[in-house]
Amino acid sequence: MRRYLRLYLYFLRFSFSRALEYRMDFWFRIVMDTTFYAVELLFFTVLYQHTKLLGGWTLDQVFIFVSGYLVIDAIHMTVFSNNMWWLSIFVNKGDLDYYLVRPVSSLFFLSTRDFAANSFVNLLMAGGILAWSLIRYPGTLGSTNITWFLFLVLNGAFLYYILHMCFIIPVFWTHTSRGMVMAFFAVGKMMERPDQIFRGWLRRVLVTVLPLSVVVSLPARVLFEGPTPEKIVHILGVTACAFLFMAWFWRLALRSYSSASS
Amino acid sequence: MRPGLFIHLMSIETRKLFSYRVDFWVTTVVNMVVTLIVFWYLWEAMFQESGASTIGGWSLPGILTYSVLISLSGRVIRGGDLQMAISTDIYEGSLSRFLLYPSRYFFFKYAQQAGAVLPELLQSIAMGALIVLVYGIPTEVPVTATSLLMALPTILIGHLLFFMLSVIPQLVAFWAENVWSLSVLLRFITMLLGGGMLPLSLFPEWAQSILAWMPFIYLYDFPARVAMGLVTQAQWLEGMLLSLLWCGITALLAVPFWRRGELQYTGVGI
Repeated sequence: MRRYLRLYLYFLRFSFSRALEYRMDFWFRIVMDTTFYAVELLFFTVLYQHTKLLGGWTLDQVFIFVSGYLVIDAIHMTVFSNNMWWLSIFVNKGDLDYYLVRPVSSLFFLSTRDFAANSFVNLLMAGGILAWSLIRYPGTLGSTNITWFLFLVLNGAFLYYILHMCFIIPVFWTHTSRGMVMAFFAVGKMMERPDQIFRGWLRRVLVTVLPLSVVVSLPARVLFEGPTPEKIVHILGVTACAFLFMAWFWRLALRSYSSASS
Repeated sequence: MRPGLFIHLMSIETRKLFSYRVDFWVTTVVNMVVTLIVFWYLWEAMFQESGASTIGGWSLPGILTYSVLISLSGRVIRGGDLQMAISTDIYEGSLSRFLLYPSRYFFFKYAQQAGAVLPELLQSIAMGALIVLVYGIPTEVPVTATSLLMALPTILIGHLLFFMLSVIPQLVAFWAENVWSLSVLLRFITMLLGGGMLPLSLFPEWAQSILAWMPFIYLYDFPARVAMGLVTQAQWLEGMLLSLLWCGITALLAVPFWRRGELQYTGVGI
């Protein structure tokens, strides 16, 4: 464990020094993400001009839900996103060999080696928006609910990574990940909407097999409705199952990898 | 540029797109189906929970038709996967060979862009026809063959306008080491302020009057309303002229960036 921690600190040091080399990109990313945050909040603000509730939530509750999503997205952009981008390139160029022979888990190495230091400021900003939305909430939330919510938001970031990875791994067979990545971003739109707007079989799928609503919508429910054991076990259980599936899928994919220009 | 060369370049790009067929179909089908599902559930929940029969002047079938048209036309307007093509040429130094060609660089790039869009246009038409066959056209929505035909040029001009809007952020590549964020930024802004996320009539009155003066309205909102038969012929002509005017304005704005950038360009790539 200590070896992995030390390795990650090296990744961080290297990423920060590289980010300082590309200063303009650093600022562009901040502007881009700020705009993204504004667009998400404005979208719901405009919708709530015409309704008092959406998916059973008020505007104040939706602000917390959206802020939670923004934090998860920021964590993903900072910790995992760049690595996801590089993975398909490594597979196609045969550069994966270099990472497979390392004396650490290849999945860990390839998922975390590139820390996007230039997105780190955005993570702080998203955290600020979440704090703002929690402070301005007119009702009482309770410290237990908030603690569980924050923990489940972190869990949501991990689940987001798992889902993204599951959409990228097919590159070992398809040789291009563009289609699957686009598909992930398309289905990812469901993550950005309250789970209660979906009904019937689709809702059941979104909280189990394709757990997009488990990422942030269910944690927000825990915040507003309280942390019942069923909800907590459901969220953590789905995440554990998704992780086991990803680990199995990764091992299966590595068996199909035939090195250079596979 | 000779029309023959333009068509030739288009066909090369179209063929390139088909070299990864699985990828192409996965992208299209999943993207469109999921977008429609999200829109469907969102608007249904909105109408149910607000208890209103119309929202921002739209009935539920009307707003769903709008959403279908946005997802069909939006892919064409945003254009294939070449949004980073200009900056890539600058970064890789491959711009040099284009500068030696006896043809203007931007016509060349636009021909490629149009080639990438052609299969998406045909796919959108096919998927639109399929949706009409399965669900039909709601009686409250005055879509006619004429309104659909009128929408076609507005979509193509919308595509040209999006290309022109994306040129300036791309040209920043002469000075900055990465402009990917600027392209994504443009996409966020145009989606919200152009009506790609929700109809512009849902915005407050004061915001609508500001948005009407911006170019973004001609990307999503205007073509969709034309296709739905909600625009008179006079408004259609006016909209077409204004969107062409915006294409001209953005082209003029790009000129100083291009001239200064050319002086900055070393041809060695980054």
